[in-house]
Amino acid sequence: MQFGPYNQSQLANIATLLIAVLSITLLTGASGQISLGQGAIMAVGGYSSALFVTRLGISMWLAFVLAIVASALFGLILGLAAARLSGPYLAGTTLVMALAIPSIAVRFESFFSGDIGLSVDYGYPPNWLTNLIGEISIEEWSLYVVLPFAALALFAVLNLSNSRSGRTWRAVRDNEVSAALAGINIARTKVIAFVCASALAGLAGALYGFRGLVAPSVYPTDLSLTLLTAAVIGGLRSIGGAIFGTFVIVFLPDLIERLTKNLAIPETISNYLPALIIGVLLLLTVILNPKGSAGALEHIRHHRKQGRH
Amino acid sequence: MDSFLSAFFSGTAQGAIYALVSLGLVLVWRGAGVVNFAQMGQAMFTTYIASQLIQNNYSYWSAFVIALVSGAILGAIVDLGLMRPLMSRKNSQLLNSQSMRTTIPVIASLGILGVLKALAGILWEGEERGFPSPVPANAVTIGSTNLAITSFDLFVIGVVFLALVLTTIFFTKTGMGLAMRASALNPEVTRLSGIRVGSVRTLGWVISGTASSLAGLLVTPKTNLSPNTLDLLLIIGFTAAVVGGLTSLTGSVLGGFIVGYVIAFVNVYSAPENVFIAILVFLLLALFFRPQGILGSKEVRRV
Repeated sequence: MQFGPYNQSQLANIATLLIAVLSITLLTGASGQISLGQGAIMAVGGYSSALFVTRLGISMWLAFVLAIVASALFGLILGLAAARLSGPYLAGTTLVMALAIPSIAVRFESFFSGDIGLSVDYGYPPNWLTNLIGEISIEEWSLYVVLPFAALALFAVLNLSNSRSGRTWRAVRDNEVSAALAGINIARTKVIAFVCASALAGLAGALYGFRGLVAPSVYPTDLSLTLLTAAVIGGLRSIGGAIFGTFVIVFLPDLIERLTKNLAIPETISNYLPALIIGVLLLLTVILNPKGSAGALEHIRHHRKQGRH
Repeated sequence: MDSFLSAFFSGTAQGAIYALVSLGLVLVWRGAGVVNFAQMGQAMFTTYIASQLIQNNYSYWSAFVIALVSGAILGAIVDLGLMRPLMSRKNSQLLNSQSMRTTIPVIASLGILGVLKALAGILWEGEERGFPSPVPANAVTIGSTNLAITSFDLFVIGVVFLALVLTTIFFTKTGMGLAMRASALNPEVTRLSGIRVGSVRTLGWVISGTASSLAGLLVTPKTNLSPNTLDLLLIIGFTAAVVGGLTSLTGSVLGGFIVGYVIAFVNVYSAPENVFIAILVFLLLALFFRPQGILGSKEVRRV
C-alpha cells in the first residue's frame, strides 16, 4: 500500500484528534474529572484561531498559540465552575455546553458567520520548505503542520503525568478527603487540570478547523463523545492507550467499510454499523476491562513475568 | 396578554414532559447513584417500537401500552445486564478510585446511548418521521373564543398528571414504594431490615424507563422522531433535575415545570435560537446559587 495523499491527510487527522484525546487522558484519566464537552472546547480553539486569521490577518502559527491561550482562559472559567461539581453534575453540565456552544455561533451570526462557518486552511507550504525538500502536496503540508504539535502535546502530557502535579492530580482523583488531609488544595488542583486539558483541546480544535472549515457542524456533540470513547477504549490512564484509541476511532469505520464492501449489505445498515460496533466496543471495555487496551496489555505482561519466576 | 397565556400554557405542557424525564433521572440517581445518559435513548427506541406498531395497523393505544412496557423492560435490561455487573466489580482498581466510581457508569450509559441510536438507525433507517397523537392539535374553543391552549397540550397535561398521581400513590401508600424511599436514603439499614435492595434498585430503573418512554410518546408528535431528536430532552431533563436537587422526587417534578416555563418564555419573548444558551445559563446559575437544588439536601461527603 502506498502512502498517498489520502493516508497523509488521515494521519494528520489522527495526530490532531490524538491531541484532543490526550486532553481527556489528562482530565479524566489523571485528575478524575469527566467532560462530555471537549468538542465544544475544540470549537473555542477553532473559532478563536479562525477569527484571528480572518479578521486580524495574523499568521497561522501565532493564531494557533493564541487559540491555546483563549481556550485555556475558557477552561479556567469552566474549571472554576467544575471544581464545585462532582462526577454526574460535571458530566451533565459539560454535555449541555457541548450542545450550547455551537449554537452561539448561529445566534451571533454576523460575528461567527452562523452555520456556514469561517473558511480557513493550512495554506500553501512556505517557500523555504519547498526550496529545501522540493514540491509537496497540500496534504503533506498539513501533516507537517500537525505532527510537531502532536509531538509537543505528547511530550507535555508525558512530563506532566510523571511530575509532582501529575501525582497531586491522581491523589485528588482517588480520594479527595485524604488528598486534602495531605495538604493538597483540591479546588486549585482541579482547576489547573481543567486549564491544561482545555489548552490541549483548544489546540486540537484549531488544527482540526484548519483542514478547511470552522463551523458548528465541524464540532458536533458526537465529536465530544467520540473523543471520550477513544480515550476509554485505549485506556483512560495511559498515553499509549490514547494513541491506540485514536487509531481505532479513525481506522475502524474505514476498515468496516472495506470489509463489508463486497458483502451485499444494505446502505442503512452499513451507515450505522461503525457507530454500532464502536458503541459495543465501548460497553465491552467498560464491563470487561475498564482500564482499556493499555490496561489489558499491562495485565498480560504482569502475568508473564510472574509465570517466569 | 395573549402571548403571555400561550407561553404559560405551552410551558405547562412542555414542563409536564420535562418533569417526567427529570423524575426518571432522579429515580435512577437516588436508587443506583448513576445519572443515566441513555435514558432518552431508551425512550427514542420505545417510541420507534410504537411507531412501527402503528404502521402495522395497531391502534394508537395498544402501541402506547406496548411502548410503556418495552420502556420498563429496557430499564430492567440496562440495570441487570450492565449496571449491576459493572458496580459489583469491587476488586477493580479503577472503581476503587472515588471519582471513577461515578465516571464509569456515565461512560457505560453513553455506550448504551450509542448502541441504541445505531440500532434504531439500522432498524428504522434513521430518517426523521412523524409520530401521531390521539387528539388533534387544534386550539380549544369555549363558545366562540379561541383559548391559547391546544387540545393536544391538554391531553399531555392530563396524562402526565395521571402518571404523577399514580407515582405519588406508589411512593406514599405502598410497601414497595416505601422500600424504595428507604433504600435510597440508607441502603445498608434497608438491607438489614430484610428488604432486597437489589430488586428495589432494579424497580427504580423500570419506573424510570417507563416514565421516559411516556415522555417520548408525548413529545414526538411535536418534534418528530429520529435517533437524535430526544437528545435535547435529556439535557433539559437533566437541567430540571439539577434545579430540583437531583435527590428529591418532588423537586424533580417542580424543576421540570420551572424549566418548561423558562424555555417557553424565552421562546415567546426572545427567539427560539436562544433556547440552548438559555438552558446553559440557567443550569450554571442553578449550580452556582443553589447547587443543592430547590428541594435537595446538602451533600454530605463520606470517606
